[in-house]
Amino acid sequence: MTIKKLFDRVDSVRLENITKKYGEQFAIKNLNLEIQGGELLILIGRSGSGKTTALRTINRLIEPDSGTVSINGADVREFDSVRLRRNIGYVIQNIGLLPHLRISENVGLLLKLEGWNEEEIRKRVRDLLTLVSLPPERFMDRYPHELSGGQQQRVGLARAMAMDPPLFLMDEPFGALDPLLRTQLQDEFFKIKKELGRTIVFITHDINEAFRLGDRIAIMNNAELIQVGTPEELIFSPVSDLVSEIVDSKRKYRHIDTLKVGDMMQPLAREDTLDPGMSAESALDLMVRKGLEFAFVMGKSEVSGRVCLNDVLKARTRGIELKEVTRALPLFSSDTTLIEALAKLKSEGESMGLVLEDNEPAGVLFSDRVLQNLI
Amino acid sequence: MFLVALFFSILIGVFIGIFTYRNPKFAAPVLNGLNVVESVPDVALLVLLLPIFGIGTEPTIVASILYSLLPIARNTYTGLSNVPRVYIEIAEALGLTQREVLFQVRFPLSLPLIAGGIRIAVVFTMGVVTLGGLIAAGGLGAALQNGIQLYDMGTILVTGAWVGFLAVLLDGIAGIIESTLKARYGTWS
Amino acid sequence: MVITVEILEATLEHLFLAYTALLIGALVSIPLILLSLYNAKLASLIMRFSNLVQAVPSFAVVAVVVPLIGIGFTPAVIAIMLRVLLPLIKNTYIGLFNVDPSLIESAKGIGLTEFQVIRYVRLPNAYPAIFAGIKFAAILANSIAVLTALIGGGGLGSMIFEGLTNFNTTKILAGTLPVIAIALFLDFSFSKIEHWLTPVYLQK
Repeated sequence: MTIKKLFDRVDSVRLENITKKYGEQFAIKNLNLEIQGGELLILIGRSGSGKTTALRTINRLIEPDSGTVSINGADVREFDSVRLRRNIGYVIQNIGLLPHLRISENVGLLLKLEGWNEEEIRKRVRDLLTLVSLPPERFMDRYPHELSGGQQQRVGLARAMAMDPPLFLMDEPFGALDPLLRTQLQDEFFKIKKELGRTIVFITHDINEAFRLGDRIAIMNNAELIQVGTPEELIFSPVSDLVSEIVDSKRKYRHIDTLKVGDMMQPLAREDTLDPGMSAESALDLMVRKGLEFAFVMGKSEVSGRVCLNDVLKARTRGIELKEVTRALPLFSSDTTLIEALAKLKSEGESMGLVLEDNEPAGVLFSDRVLQNLI
Repeated sequence: MFLVALFFSILIGVFIGIFTYRNPKFAAPVLNGLNVVESVPDVALLVLLLPIFGIGTEPTIVASILYSLLPIARNTYTGLSNVPRVYIEIAEALGLTQREVLFQVRFPLSLPLIAGGIRIAVVFTMGVVTLGGLIAAGGLGAALQNGIQLYDMGTILVTGAWVGFLAVLLDGIAGIIESTLKARYGTWS
Repeated sequence: MVITVEILEATLEHLFLAYTALLIGALVSIPLILLSLYNAKLASLIMRFSNLVQAVPSFAVVAVVVPLIGIGFTPAVIAIMLRVLLPLIKNTYIGLFNVDPSLIESAKGIGLTEFQVIRYVRLPNAYPAIFAGIKFAAILANSIAVLTALIGGGGLGSMIFEGLTNFNTTKILAGTLPVIAIALFLDFSFSKIEHWLTPVYLQK
């Protein structure tokens, strides 16, 4: 079953001179913003800054008083709003899984309305649940209220992907989750994003989330767009005090352009590394004993990569060798500039890299710890 | 007689509920009108229907339906109108048409409340149908009336107890259906 | 002219029957409510029983009174009273207990006794619900007072049933219309009072 799509890919989403007023109050004031195809654009600002209103003009949940929104050059008002929305994934903080439908029915709702047959729907739902790390056989037949908040949000993500939309709108999707869970979902989301290569507009009020996920960040305040740019641009050339306050550039990043990887790396504890020839069983034993969530796998001099506790468990149950579940790591020399290293980590969706000195592993660079250490 | 009356009550009641939801300006007059019908004593209503429908089952069924419409229609209307905003919003954002929102989201989420209305209707219908015995609709009501007229204590007690038992049983079954729906549909309080 | 006097008499009889029963019902319900306030077990018993009995058709209740007490005015009053008792108790109870617990807490906190909590916190909060119960009971009493004519309660119901047996349409209408008028009057006037009684912050 093929779905007739309004657009297969998004080259640009353009908001031009958008104004929306509620009574005398401006929700958005003359907003101009272009989202490029394939990027993840963050909208950040305080509540009431107009970010949600801006987002909703794109799928026509809100019609602006003046100005136009266009996708690939076509005014969204030319599209039937129902068809338009079926081509745009939508995820919100409150998730809104329908309580009377099973997980499989929630995810497959639109497919059913589009006339897919039962078997096709089930297959697609399975794939989607697997993609968001929910074992289908354990979740398909349950009801939303039986799931935890994190699981529900994964389902919400899967539901948004059901029609394979080329564009996603996400309104603080991880906002209601506790910090640990949020980080985990951000990681997974980042991987999915890389796999799918979709255009995403993402609202958050958390600047760290914005830096982790965003290709570009648009800062809004009092119904107006203040600045839009890459994280580096915002940090190094904020247009106003407000922007530097939000990105906290004065405090955190004063010296960042002079720093090298070697200044910020953590020393590597040799006794916490695993040997590539080790059995999964003894690796697991070592990690559990030392309370390690992940470990580096390296021989005498060559580095194979890193494994998570999860990977080792997988290797044990499947009876495969450690090196088959080992993932390669970005490698840096200690005199690489910090900015360059951080950019590379981000583009690969990794949270850590290994630092070499004279081709010998010497330390680890954690992207999130860099921020903390700079304060 | 009971089942026919209940069937039409649900059909018409739910229809009125959906209609008033779709045309909110009719909601207040229609529901208030039904409310007035509700306050009219059942015997009086039954008797007034006699010139139109003659004696027997027809006026009884019509009276039952008239009484049962309010709880079903009101609960349907309330249920449809009060579905939490977030579900409507996400359904619209996903690209459901207004019709799909009504039947895939609002209606199923209102089911527990509608079931509650039907439960009240079950009790009303039972009451009016029993009363129907007075105007030759037969059934257990006729047995009760005969008992009173002949001053036959045995008949009155047995029939009265049986009617009471049946009513409590039916109400209980409706109650179980209602609470099952509530449990399944989770979020409704 | 004769018929007008007859209607007037029957109406008075009807009203007297219905509202004597309602008054007695209200008087009986007060001690039961007070008891259930202090005894959760009794309260839940009363609630469960009232829900069950509410399902039993009025006709069955009226009929069963005959073998137990006989016929006449008193059994009719008792039948009506039995019927209105439960909605009265149930509504009052719900009204008294659906009070924000933090309100009760803070009332106790500033040193109100149990009785004072009921008097100054629970009761004012319960007025709308109690009133809804009284409205429902009043309309119900009007309705059942017609039915009790079958067991010798007299009043407008007697006219209706006499009319029914003789196929006398005038008589049927003479009985029915006042009953409906009373019902509509009750519904209308009680709604007005209800509106007036409901605290401003609860009105939409």
